[in-house]
Amino acid sequence: MIKISHLTKTYGDKKALDNFSLEIKKGQIFGLLGVNGAGKTTLLSILNGLILQDSGEIKIDHLDLKYHLKEIKEFSSIIPQNLAFYEELSVKENLDFFAKVQNATKEYYSNAIEINALENILNQKAFTLSGGQKRRLNIAIGLLNNPKIIYFDEPTVGIDPKSRNEILESIKTYKDFGVTVVYTSHYMSEIEKICDEVAIIDNGKLIEQTKTESLLTNIESNNVMIEVIYSDKLKKFGFSFVNKTTIKTTEAELCDVLKICKKHNIILKQINYGSTNLEKYFLEKTGTYDV
Amino acid sequence: MMFKAMILKELLLVLRDKHALAALFVMPAVFILIMSVAMKNSFSNDNIEFTLHIQDADKSSVSKKILSNIEKNKKIHLINQQKNAQFIMTIPKDYEKNLTSKVIIDVRGSLKSNQINIFKGILLEDILSAKLNKMAQNFKEPAPEAAKVLSSLKVSADNVCQVHYNSSKNIPNSTQQSVPAWIVFGMFFIIIPMSTIYVNERKQNTLARLSSMNVSIFSMAIAKSIPYLIINQLQVIIMLGVGHYIVPLLNAPALEINGSLIALGALSLGLSVAAIGISSLIAVSAHSSEQATTIGGILNILLGAIGGVMVPKFIMPPIMQELTQISPMAWGIDGFLDIFLKSANLGAVIGNVIMLMLFGIVFLILSVLVLQNRIKKGI
Repeated sequence: MIKISHLTKTYGDKKALDNFSLEIKKGQIFGLLGVNGAGKTTLLSILNGLILQDSGEIKIDHLDLKYHLKEIKEFSSIIPQNLAFYEELSVKENLDFFAKVQNATKEYYSNAIEINALENILNQKAFTLSGGQKRRLNIAIGLLNNPKIIYFDEPTVGIDPKSRNEILESIKTYKDFGVTVVYTSHYMSEIEKICDEVAIIDNGKLIEQTKTESLLTNIESNNVMIEVIYSDKLKKFGFSFVNKTTIKTTEAELCDVLKICKKHNIILKQINYGSTNLEKYFLEKTGTYDV
Repeated sequence: MMFKAMILKELLLVLRDKHALAALFVMPAVFILIMSVAMKNSFSNDNIEFTLHIQDADKSSVSKKILSNIEKNKKIHLINQQKNAQFIMTIPKDYEKNLTSKVIIDVRGSLKSNQINIFKGILLEDILSAKLNKMAQNFKEPAPEAAKVLSSLKVSADNVCQVHYNSSKNIPNSTQQSVPAWIVFGMFFIIIPMSTIYVNERKQNTLARLSSMNVSIFSMAIAKSIPYLIINQLQVIIMLGVGHYIVPLLNAPALEINGSLIALGALSLGLSVAAIGISSLIAVSAHSSEQATTIGGILNILLGAIGGVMVPKFIMPPIMQELTQISPMAWGIDGFLDIFLKSANLGAVIGNVIMLMLFGIVFLILSVLVLQNRIKKGI
């Protein structure tokens, strides 16, 4: 559905995307993981025609983005991280406005309301809505053109767990309609929960692209993470670190590492066997907690 | 449909912003009332006297009678030299033979419009009296009843004299000065709602979202401008209404619109385009609505001070009067004053209208370019 080849985008001296290639299949929920500044937003902006790439090729539904931007925009939609609607207008006024801008049909309009359970709050001014309701309105606006591809840019920021689950469940249902979803989030658990495939981006480069299921299986490894209280002495022993206070080792070497720690009075906080979730895997790959 | 939706959305947002509405409608109306009343004494016409030079091309008994009537009038001083006269009156050839013809009055000095009206009133009396005298002589059998009826007829000064304003600078009365000045000032205050909405839309990525929905930045800018065009026209109508109906209730002179309404409409459209252009550029360039309203407010006050809003242009020293022309507000005020004081038609103010339109269009294009750039950079 989406084929990105050798994409490069530079801002001044900084390469936001560096020879970036990726393929996303039709009907998938595809997760994009990366730290702030990794290049996720730049990628989404290029895919939505908001900015132009310096070089590289993008094909969406076999159409070259460069030459068919208008057609592509008609069947794709972005759900921005910010609440991109008008707080002073009611839910209905917002939906009416964005529907008219896109010439949405009555059917799509009703579907967007139904999927996001907005029926009972249509006449409420947007600023009076709860965080979850605002997020749902933000998503509903993105569904008005009945898109074949939806880009979600961290759509669950700042909402309660119940609302988050409701949103994630609704996103999972899009697969039933053959919609391709590109999903970025700061919450690894969300990616684990809903994405079929995941790509890890760092410094504008694709680090890894794999199926979420196989990734989670593979990372059930022999790795052991030892969290300690920070000490300058730690640098002496040639340990491998995930961050300043987390030593990465294996079960085979664990005993030796613990002996060294004891000998040099390094205080342990906790020991985790195996990288059991995507978050730890991500930390291993990018070497940072700043997700 | 898209355009209609954009216009409706913008109008709803402005109409729900109470502070903006106060700045757009209440502030200029209050200023008009305060300034019209506060300045009315400095614009008073008590004990006024005029200087007049007469060119008599007819040399008839009627023209001599007019001359003698004016000589007796204490409010008008006849002078021999044209250059010192506030008015030059020309009695055309064959005036006596054709009593329906008009004398021509050239206004030369700096005068308020109501002073010109006072002068015309005085003159009307002297000219009519001379004309009636001649008509009475023409009757074979003078009929006292007819003369009585004739003398009681109300005749407009415009039927007996034709006024040419030439390059004279007429001085407005307090209402004529206040209304255009504060209308223009108020119109430029669309910066408040415009910047608030623009900045919110940009920060919340709503503009980027619209852009991803195949709405071009140019269409957005045009669609956003139309509601402000409507609001500006409403401001003009309401403020003219305040000047005409409410100001006289406070014992200040009522606003009279002597000139063409088409000219008034064109000028107010031109002013609106200028106000929208400069407001758009500030709104899209600012990082926050606070920054936009501060910059916009300061700029408006500066343009107003230079352009003759706070201090009437006619009391400024000549060099400052020249300097007013750098402010688009002055182009608007001058146009309004021409319409109110000199009965100007569209042709007389078209230069001001074109300048205002060009000014607005240039700034509007710049604002589209800046906005395009900011959306591309995601800021």
